Amino acid sequence: MKHILIATTALSIAALDAQADELKLGLATAQTGGLAPYDAPVVEGIRIAVDEINAAGGIGGKIMIEMTEKDVRSDTAQTSISVQELVDAGSEAIVLPCDADPSIAAAAIVASAQIPAISTCASSPTLPLIGGDYVFANFPGDNVQATVSASWAFEQGMKTVFILYSPDSQYTTMPLYFADVMKSLGGEVLGEATYNIGQPDFSAIATQIAALDPAPDVVMTSAYEPDFPTFIKALRAAGYEGQVIGSDGIDSPTTFGLGDAAEGVVFSTAGHATEGSPLEGFNTLYEETTGSKSETVFNAVGYDLVKVLEAAVVAAGSTEPQAIRDAMANLEDVQGATSLITYKGTTGMPVRQVSLVRVKSGERELVGQPSPRADLIPAPRMQ
Amino acid sequence: MELTAPRSQLAAAVLAVPGFVVLLALAGDAIGTSVERTIIVFLISLTAIAAMGLYSGNSGILSFGHLSFMGIGAYAAALLTLPAQIKGATLPALPEWLAVIELGLLPATLTAVILTMTVAGLVGLAIWRLDGSAATISTLALLIITHGILIGWRDVTRGAQTFFGVPRDTTIWVAAAGCVISLVVARLYRDSACGLRLRAGRENAIAAAAIGISVPRERFIAFVLSAGLMALSGALIAHFLGAFSPKKFYFTDTFFLLAMLIVGGMTTVTGAVLGAVVVTLLTELLRRLEGGLDLGFVEIPQVFGTTQIGIGMLILLALMRRPEGLAGLREWEEWLIPPRRTAVDPKPLSPAESDPLDAISLTKRFGGVVATEEVSVTVTPGEIVGLIGPNGSGKTTLLNQLSGVLRPSEGAITKGGKDLVHLPPHKFVDAGIARTFQNIRLFPTLSVYQNVQAAALATKGGRDAGARVAAALERLGLSGVTETMAGNLSYGDQRRVEIARALVCQPSLIFLDEPAAGMNREETDALMEILRKLNSDLGIGILLVDHDLGLINALCHRIIVLNEGKLIAEGSPEEVRRNPAVIEAYLGTSKKETR
Repeated sequence: MKHILIATTALSIAALDAQADELKLGLATAQTGGLAPYDAPVVEGIRIAVDEINAAGGIGGKIMIEMTEKDVRSDTAQTSISVQELVDAGSEAIVLPCDADPSIAAAAIVASAQIPAISTCASSPTLPLIGGDYVFANFPGDNVQATVSASWAFEQGMKTVFILYSPDSQYTTMPLYFADVMKSLGGEVLGEATYNIGQPDFSAIATQIAALDPAPDVVMTSAYEPDFPTFIKALRAAGYEGQVIGSDGIDSPTTFGLGDAAEGVVFSTAGHATEGSPLEGFNTLYEETTGSKSETVFNAVGYDLVKVLEAAVVAAGSTEPQAIRDAMANLEDVQGATSLITYKGTTGMPVRQVSLVRVKSGERELVGQPSPRADLIPAPRMQ
Repeated sequence: MELTAPRSQLAAAVLAVPGFVVLLALAGDAIGTSVERTIIVFLISLTAIAAMGLYSGNSGILSFGHLSFMGIGAYAAALLTLPAQIKGATLPALPEWLAVIELGLLPATLTAVILTMTVAGLVGLAIWRLDGSAATISTLALLIITHGILIGWRDVTRGAQTFFGVPRDTTIWVAAAGCVISLVVARLYRDSACGLRLRAGRENAIAAAAIGISVPRERFIAFVLSAGLMALSGALIAHFLGAFSPKKFYFTDTFFLLAMLIVGGMTTVTGAVLGAVVVTLLTELLRRLEGGLDLGFVEIPQVFGTTQIGIGMLILLALMRRPEGLAGLREWEEWLIPPRRTAVDPKPLSPAESDPLDAISLTKRFGGVVATEEVSVTVTPGEIVGLIGPNGSGKTTLLNQLSGVLRPSEGAITKGGKDLVHLPPHKFVDAGIARTFQNIRLFPTLSVYQNVQAAALATKGGRDAGARVAAALERLGLSGVTETMAGNLSYGDQRRVEIARALVCQPSLIFLDEPAAGMNREETDALMEILRKLNSDLGIGILLVDHDLGLINALCHRIIVLNEGKLIAEGSPEEVRRNPAVIEAYLGTSKKETR
C-alpha cells in the first residue's frame, strides 16, 4: 500500500514537470466508454495540430504547447476529478468531453479557477449558456445547422415543412429550430411528430406524412442511426417523394449505403473537402501523419479547436488563462480546417460555416457552404 | 435492537468506521483539490457499496437494480434543492408546489430517502417471493425500467438531457457523514436479529423456513433498507456533480460498483471497504500510468483503457483466487478480536404442550409417482415413534409433509384441532413442530451460536432468546464450540447443532431424519441418551427416521413401517419385528423363495 502511494506521488510529480514559455493544455476527454467514438477522433485532430504548431516553433514561433491528457472514461464524476487535476497541475486551457453532462459538471471547476475550457464537439447551444463565461463549444450549434438548412430549403422554393423530432435528447430536437427558422422566413409548418430514440417502427409516422394533403415540400429530422435508416425507408415506402433534410448525425457511411431510399437526401454537416479547401489540406496532413485516410470530419474538428486556441493566445499575447478566455470570446474568422470560426458576439457557441451535402448515387455531393444569417438563428432552447 | 454478534467485536467494528472515514476525510481536506475530489467520490461509492452489500451480501441475491434507487434518490433530492429560478427555466412543466420548493441538502436528502424506501417497498411487494436467478433477473428489469422512466418522465427529469444547476453542497465532510451512516447501518444490520435471520435464509432457505424464518419477509426488509442508503448515496453524488443524467445510474456504474463489492467480498462490510479501497487505489495508479510518462530512464507510452483492463483482471483474479472476495466470509474484527459474549444463564426449557399431531390419509404425488399413499399417522408429545422402511419407501416424503416442507396432494394434517395443511413452511414451527434433515442443513458460515440463535430469534417472538440458546447448547453438549463456524464441525457435532437448533424453538414434537447417520457407536449412544432425556424431562415427542434398527428398537415406544409409500405396519417394536409384512418388505417375498 505504502509503495503504491509513494509510486503514484512520484509519478504525479514527474507529470507536473514544466517549462517556461509554453501553453499548458489539459485534455479531459473520453478515450474509453460511450463517448469515445466522438472524443477520440477529435483528440487525434488536436494532436496533429499541436504537433504541427510545435514543429514550427510553437504559437507565434515561441510558445510551445504542452499537452496533458486524461481519460475520463465517459464518466461525469471522473471528468470532475480529472478537470480538477488539470487545474491543480496549472493548465491554462482545458478541453472537455463531447457530452453536456460531464462538461456542465466541470464548468463550475473551470469557472472558479478562471480557466477557459472548450468542449470537443458538443453541439447543444445551451452548453456555453449553462456553463458560464469560461465554457466554449467547438461545433456548429444545432440552431446554426437548422438555420442553414432551413434557409437553403426556403430559397429552393420549399415553403411547407413537416418535422420529426425526439425529446429524448437535446440534439434530436434540432427540427424545432428548423421550424422556427422556416416560420420566420414565412414558411409554414404542416405538422410534427415525435419518436423515441431506438424506436423500432416508423410506419405510422410515415403513413401520417404521406397522407398529408397538400404534401409538405420538405420533411426535416435530426434522427440518426438506427432511427434515420428505419424512418427514411418507411417514409419512401409510404409514398412520400418530397425533399428530406437531415443533420450531421447521418454523416456516416451507413447513409450513403442506403441506396434508393436515401437518394436525394440533403443534410448539414461541419465541413466538406472541396478541391483546394483547408479541409482537403487537413485530410492530406492527416494521411501523411497517420498513414491512413481520415474517416470522419471529427478529426478536422479537433484541428479546428487548436487553431482557435492558437489564435486566442496570439490575440491575448500571453498564456494567462483569463487573457486567453477574453481573447477567445472576441475571435473573428479564424481559419480552421472545416470553416471560418467566429466567437465574437456569441455566448460561446461558435458561428461556423455549415456544409450542405446531398446523397447522390451513394456519393456525397456538395450543395453549398452558406454562412447563416445571424438574425435568423433561433435563441437556444433550455427545455 | 437485538444484536447477535459478540459485543467485544461489534463495538470495535462500529467505532472503527467513523475512525477510518474521518481520517480519510481529514487527509482529503488537508491535501485538497483533486485528491479531495477523489476521496469524495470514494466515500460516495462506498456509501452505495455498503448499501448494495446490505442486500446482496446478506440475502445472497446479486442485485443489478440498486442503482435505480441511487437514481431516484439523486433526482428526488436534486428536485428539492434546485433553485426555483433554474426550475422555472429548465423544468417549466413541474407541478406548482414542486416548482417553488427549495430545501436545504439535509431535509431534501431525508425526503428523498423516505420516498425511495416507499418506492422500494412497492417494488419489493412485487418481487419479494422470487428466489435465486429469478430474483437477480428481476433486479435487472428494475434497472432498465427505472432508467426508462427517468428518461421518459421529461417534465420532471429533463429526460435524457443533463439535469443541471444542482447546488454543489456535498463537501468532503458531508460525504464522510453519509458514508459513516451507511457503513454503520450496514454493519449493525448484519448482526441484528433481522440480518441474522436473512443470513440464515441465504445459507439454507429450507432449514431457515423450518425454524420459523420467513425468508421473503427478511429479504423485503433488507431491500427497503438498502434502497434508503442507495438514495442517500444518490443525493450525495447529485450534489457533488451538480449535473447528471439518467445514464449515470445505469449499467456502467452498476458494474463499476459491483466490481468493488465482488473484489472485496459481498458478505461483509469489511469486504465493501476493502473492495472500494483496492479498486480505487488500482484505478488511481493505472490512470496515472496510462497517460504516458517519462521517468527519465524509461518512457511509458500513452495507452488509454489500461484502467478498465486492470480492473477487469483484478476481478478475474479475485474470482479465481478468492471467490468469496478479499475479506472472505468474516468481518475484520471476527478474525482479529476473540469473541466474548455476555454470559446468559440458561433458562430451563419449558415442558412441551400436549396436543397430538394427526395426519389423515396423506397422499403425495410427484407427476405420476405416488410417494406416499393414504398414510395416516398420529404422533403425540411424550412418545418416541420410529419411522422405518426400505430405501424409497416414502419416509422422508412423509416427514417433509408433516413438517410443512412439502404440501400433501391430498389429506389433512391437524394439531390440537388446528389445520396445518395450508400453512406456509415457516409457520409449522409455531405449531410446535421442529425438525432436522437427512442431509444436514446447517447455516455453514454462521457460528454454532448463531445457528441456534437464528432459530431462537425466529420463534416465540424472540423472547428469552439468549437464555434459550444457552439451554439448548448446554443440553446438546455444545457449550465449548459456540464460536466455531458450523461448517467446520465434525459430522456428529453438526448433527447435534441441528438438534439444538430444533430444540431452541421449544417444540412439542421433533422430527429427526437419520440423526445417527455417520456417527460411531459412542456418538450414537450419547445421542440416544440426549434424546431420551428430551423426552423424559420435557415431554417432547420424537419422530425418528433411521436405518439403525438397533437405535430404533432401543429408543422407540412405537414404530411405523412404510413400504412403497403405504403404511404396512404400526405397533410396539416387538409387534413390528414379528409382522410378516415387515419381514417381507425388508427381506423380499417368501413366495419367490418357495417357488
